[in-house]
Amino acid sequence: MVRVLLRFGKEIVDQPITSEIILEQGTPINILAAHINQEGGRILAEIETTNAQKVIEALRKRGVTVDVRNLIEVDDDKCTDCGACYSLCPVNAITYNEDYSVVFDGEKCLGTNCGLCADACPTRAIRLIG
Amino acid sequence: MEVLQLKKKNGSKGTKKQQVSHKDGRTIAEINEKIEKGDVQVLTAEEMKKLVENSGTQVAYNEVDVVTTGTFGAMCSSGAIINIGHADPPIKIQKAWINDVEVCHPGAAVDLYVGATKMSDKEPFEYGGGHVIEDLIRGKEVELRATAYGTDCYPRTRLETSITKDDLNQFLLLNFRNCYQRYVCATNSRNETIYTYMGKLLPRFRNATYSGAGALNPLMNDPDYETIGIGTRIFLGCGQGYVIGEGTQHNPGNRMGTIMVRGDCKKMDPGFIRGASFTRYGTTLYVGMGIPIPILNEGIAKKVSVRDEEIYTDVIDYGAPRRDRPELGKVNYKELKSGKIAIQDRTVKVSSLSSLKKARIIAKTLKEWIENGQFYLSAASESLPTDTTFAPAKQTREVSFVGTIIQKPVTCREDEEIKTVAKRIVGQSVNHIVVVDKQGRLKGIVTSWDITRAVAEDKKKLGEIFVRKVITTTIDEPLEAASRKMAQNKISALPVIDRERKVIGIVTAEDISRLIGGR
Repeated sequence: MVRVLLRFGKEIVDQPITSEIILEQGTPINILAAHINQEGGRILAEIETTNAQKVIEALRKRGVTVDVRNLIEVDDDKCTDCGACYSLCPVNAITYNEDYSVVFDGEKCLGTNCGLCADACPTRAIRLIG
Repeated sequence: MEVLQLKKKNGSKGTKKQQVSHKDGRTIAEINEKIEKGDVQVLTAEEMKKLVENSGTQVAYNEVDVVTTGTFGAMCSSGAIINIGHADPPIKIQKAWINDVEVCHPGAAVDLYVGATKMSDKEPFEYGGGHVIEDLIRGKEVELRATAYGTDCYPRTRLETSITKDDLNQFLLLNFRNCYQRYVCATNSRNETIYTYMGKLLPRFRNATYSGAGALNPLMNDPDYETIGIGTRIFLGCGQGYVIGEGTQHNPGNRMGTIMVRGDCKKMDPGFIRGASFTRYGTTLYVGMGIPIPILNEGIAKKVSVRDEEIYTDVIDYGAPRRDRPELGKVNYKELKSGKIAIQDRTVKVSSLSSLKKARIIAKTLKEWIENGQFYLSAASESLPTDTTFAPAKQTREVSFVGTIIQKPVTCREDEEIKTVAKRIVGQSVNHIVVVDKQGRLKGIVTSWDITRAVAEDKKKLGEIFVRKVITTTIDEPLEAASRKMAQNKISALPVIDRERKVIGIVTAEDISRLIGGR
């Protein structure tokens, strides 16, 4: 799965772009989070890896801004591996490994669409994107 | 964990001699001699537990001289004494700030105490005394500003300068309560997220937090204070420091012992001393600490074999804004370290607030220091008390609860006309009307202001205007907590509900001020 952040400008926010692309490309797009207001819209979605490139191109063609970056940045110098963030993550993107290092899975993280962990970090090591 | 590797002893003769002396117990002087010779046997607490498990306490006692422990967690009762030297003309500092954090002045002219929880005037909750200490240890330059009333001997009234740790005569960590033996596990029953000194707690038990290193914790490995006492040399912030006494609230009988420590900040490493921010709670200092436990006899060897699954702590509901918060059950540190615990039949993810990774690194580092002859053990010159308890504050004023000022609520139903409700507000001379359903359960609230606006906007039905998301209180909530809720949410009344959300009354800000004004 490829995690993508889609941004829709206000001129295209009322169009059924996502459904059209699902039908046109014959591939599911799993919507994880969506926000819409007068200024435009934002969808966090997952696309199957094999079709990802085609879907992203189709989205961009219709004027959607597609972002495929990780949605979480952790400053390793600031992080003390306490894990205050661990229990707040609803998608298990934060885990401990054997030596009690705290590990962040950028592919699972929902970024600012969730944001539960960031303000719980005592050393402010977490920056969320989206 | 890697296989335990005991250092090879210097021939069988030495070993034999050692065995003999063990009958009477080991002394710290003997251990220090071995450190000097380079044949001291040191294990971290985690390694020692494995050895005891596999070979028993007698072998462990015979083989091991010192066990090292570690913890790295938020320790709020921390701070640093700094002496800045005299300016010319000199100043007797009355008030001072470093990077806009007020640093109090408890003593003579130029001694300052940087308290970890004191927050910056400009960036409260994000930057505080803990961060000042970390920045100074990092070698950063900080801004010092001071004012004074001026005396004949200290005429100066203002001082502004920038300093680094090299400009300070003394820069000493002086923490009056550190290193809790164990701590509670926190969770939250409320319907809202709360921000506490135990971190962020999601609504309705959706997460939990705990602190402490469990079986690796220094005081847990010497629970009867047989070796740790005044004068014990310790790892403190990656420098060498000392235990200078029991900490405040030291409660060893309840396995909640604490210590007071001192160390030279100039020799510390910011990897093990960190400023930290707890959102909407305040700032603090993360302190890294490790204590060596000399294995003086078999009894001590047995005590350091304590395991995570034997250390229990209470799960506490921090949703209750009271001193004595409800206890929801018990968990042990093995469960806590697994990341999941059971609370009232559900599985809840639990966060450590202290770093177990760093705790291990500290125990390991201290072990290496001792093995390499960089760290010698010191005998305590006085033992810490084992019989002190932690009593609640003496309160000369009775605590008041919502129940003391609760008023009968004026209610309405959501299908009523706005006009009818307006008449009731006037008739009963109240500002708040609680909207309830047939069973008397809370549906919402409407204020006289809402009604006024509805009239201005020509609305007719109450259903169009009443507020559905209501902040509530209960009959046994302290008034302090209720009035804080009102202030935080900028509201002036709280419906009082029971367990079934039935409305049993209302408290208003007016009633609270009348009560406070009246006493």
